[in-house]
Amino acid sequence: MLAILKAVDVGRVYESGLIFKKRYAALEGISLEMEAGKTVGLMGPSGSGKTTLGKILAGLERPTSGRIFFAGKEIGSMSGRETAIFRRAVQMVFQDPEGSLNPRKSIGQSISEVLSMLKIPGRRWQEMTGEMLEKVGLSDELLCRYPGQISGGQCQRVALGRVLLLQPQAIILDEPTSALDISVQAQILNLLKDLQRDLGLAYLLISHQPEVIRFMAHDTIILVQSRTS
Amino acid sequence: MNSRRPDDAPILQIEDLSVSFSTATGQVKAAENVCFKLYKGETLALVGETGCGKSVVASSIMQLLPNNAHIQGRAIYAGRDLLSLSEKEMSRIRGSEIAIVFQNPSLALNPIMRVSEQIAEMLQVRKGYPAAQSLELAGEMLHRLGLQGDDKMRMYPFQFSGGMNQRVMIAASMILSPRIIIADEPSKGLDGALAAEVMAEMARIKNQVGASLLLITHDLNLARNISDRMAVMYCGEIMEIGESEEIFSLPRHPYTAALLRCLPERGFQPIPGPSPSMIKPPAGCKFHPRCPNISEVCRRKPKMTRVEGRGTAPAGSESEIREVKCWRY
Repeated sequence: MLAILKAVDVGRVYESGLIFKKRYAALEGISLEMEAGKTVGLMGPSGSGKTTLGKILAGLERPTSGRIFFAGKEIGSMSGRETAIFRRAVQMVFQDPEGSLNPRKSIGQSISEVLSMLKIPGRRWQEMTGEMLEKVGLSDELLCRYPGQISGGQCQRVALGRVLLLQPQAIILDEPTSALDISVQAQILNLLKDLQRDLGLAYLLISHQPEVIRFMAHDTIILVQSRTS
Repeated sequence: MNSRRPDDAPILQIEDLSVSFSTATGQVKAAENVCFKLYKGETLALVGETGCGKSVVASSIMQLLPNNAHIQGRAIYAGRDLLSLSEKEMSRIRGSEIAIVFQNPSLALNPIMRVSEQIAEMLQVRKGYPAAQSLELAGEMLHRLGLQGDDKMRMYPFQFSGGMNQRVMIAASMILSPRIIIADEPSKGLDGALAAEVMAEMARIKNQVGASLLLITHDLNLARNISDRMAVMYCGEIMEIGESEEIFSLPRHPYTAALLRCLPERGFQPIPGPSPSMIKPPAGCKFHPRCPNISEVCRRKPKMTRVEGRGTAPAGSESEIREVKCWRY
């Protein structure tokens, strides 16, 4: 099966200093493949470059070496149209659920924003919002509230719901439950599994909890501490 | 762990503590009839999900709640009710007798003061130690918590990670050897191995100075590892209290059982239904809408009931007794 997203020998080096440059290799020679309906677990201690790898795969950061392929094409050499498709198809869910929503926009506004960006006609908004809320298990009472007024688990569901509106093929989940209680973690992980089964999503799940990875992942990658040189 | 004798009187006794907040959307009942005793030298964990009112209990003991809070009940410490003390009397107790470690270390520390000075300041203000000596003691404390070296001493909070700041907070709370330490989610922001390490060190220092620890956490495994007893809170009420190991091996309250089933090693089984509203909590037992063993009687309020424990504590001691707020007992 063709991988949705593929990384080949990816590396990321950060430099600091003007004259005497210090090089810090956050990532070195990482290769992985993400397939539909499968979860790749990504583990490693803090500072081992897990999030950097996630961002590179989501196209939010460029690797300093190696290549990323989306549906067989390298993402650096895609046309504008293809890039737009890639941007939509590969989404990321961040660790801090409250921080990923605009605090000055109500939940309803945050959702409408995505719908308007997708150029969906206004008459369909209500219906689509309803469907999405149902998918992630939220009630429509929430729409008039602001991120600060709902719980972390609810924020994370909203963030996930917004991502799902884009009908992605792959989602990078960066510690999606580490800011949440164990009871909410259990809910979110089960929700993610159900969505994967129903929609055939490919996940890259970043976590430092071995139990979470064991519960979710089909394959696991463990990063070790990077070096400074 | 448990060095308490059966005849020990509690060092802190919370009686019928209820806290509510007036907000635009209604009265938020953050804590209702909370009762527990903290004994000398023991670690009592107050566990529960986010928003169940754990931190409110801690803040009300320290009189740190905002003005819109209505507090009822008593918190007896050294023969006095902390809730009725004046601000002046309370400020003498805060820090030196009862210390609190807050959950957001980056906000709790002064951003423009070196970390070592912030710890040393406690000694200078409260004990009148000279600057050099207090800095040295502060350095020792930081060293014990795994932050060694002169460069670390000279750093500012923004140069530290959240985990390092948390350790600074812990050092600052322990340096005056308080009798009670209240730790509000001390492991937040620390990753697994580090959290365990810091908490073990905290427990060790606590034992050395003979303090009691009220640990507030949603991390059940952490609570199990370092606490002697555990109180499980749900929607502002304590549902079950007893020895930690016993609660883990034999949860009596359906909520405790459901919460434990969410644990990774027990298969991530979520609790059905949404979390209750704190403004209009369910009538009767607050857990009844989500409870698998619901019966008609659950619509009325259950009382805290003592059930026989099978604990490891010496016979006759109070910790042997488990208390559960459920109609089944």
